[in-house]
Amino acid sequence: MHNDNDCELTADEQVMFSSLRRELQPGDLLEERVVRALRREGHLGARKRSARRRGQLVRIAAAIALFAGGVATGRYVITPDAPQAAAAALPAGMAGDTNQSSETPIPVSGELIVAETELWL
Amino acid sequence: MAISGQVQIPELSRIGEALPAGGSDAALIAAAVSGAEAAFRELFRRHTPHLLQFVTRVLGASSADAEDVVQDTWLRAYPALVTFRNESSFSTWLCSVGLRAALDSIRRGRRHTAGELFDDDASSDPPPTEDRMDLESAIARLAPGYRMVLVLHDVEGFTHEEIGVQLGIAPGTSKAQLFKARRVMRALLTGREKNDA
Repeated sequence: MHNDNDCELTADEQVMFSSLRRELQPGDLLEERVVRALRREGHLGARKRSARRRGQLVRIAAAIALFAGGVATGRYVITPDAPQAAAAALPAGMAGDTNQSSETPIPVSGELIVAETELWL
Repeated sequence: MAISGQVQIPELSRIGEALPAGGSDAALIAAAVSGAEAAFRELFRRHTPHLLQFVTRVLGASSADAEDVVQDTWLRAYPALVTFRNESSFSTWLCSVGLRAALDSIRRGRRHTAGELFDDDASSDPPPTEDRMDLESAIARLAPGYRMVLVLHDVEGFTHEEIGVQLGIAPGTSKAQLFKARRVMRALLTGREKNDA
């Protein structure tokens, strides 16, 4: 094992170390080399911006698709009930083109008949 | 030079687009992360001179070789900028990335493994010389394992614990390497190296 005290820097050595140059100016081309390399990898400049824009477009497209899906689902859910609702609005005996049997009387209220008649007029 | 607070990308990216020559490191980092080239260039100009000097000393190499390592350092550092926190100054953080790049360069060039760099064998001694030399030249003549520990400790001011973490060695190994590195360095400085070796 060595003695740590023997290894300590002398005052002169400390001065030498502290006077060492702290900075070294790079060549003129290094900055361009690095920036070009980062651009190639899509980190800086136009590619980075276009990547951001692509992300925004994807988000907008996803929102539109979600909205359209909601509309389609809504229509699908509402449509199966539509014939029954229409038949319910018609007077007895006029609902022959629906899947309801004409022999079974459809219970309709007087208000519904009045409302439907007003619509026809 | 320590920066404060976490990186706030959206707010600071606007500052970056305004080319903040006098902006803080944190502002420049956040703007550079969001792709602002002007901010990155400012960050590069601010920190590359010290990084290049550090890498040149660690490699003991020509500035052309060191510039390749500096380029590699920035290519490694840029994607990691988002992970940078204010636990240390940006300059210190960048030098730690540069040290890893330099280590990889040495391993590629000389086919060293991580452990071999810090082995205590005769082949790690510098070539014999009777000429006195200045400190910079003496550092460059040291074996890579000695040189790294000496530069990190005596020039950059890292502790043995920090050096251990950076180089993947025990703090005791760092101390032993520093002791030997200083011994060889003194021999080189006084021209007694031939007799000592």
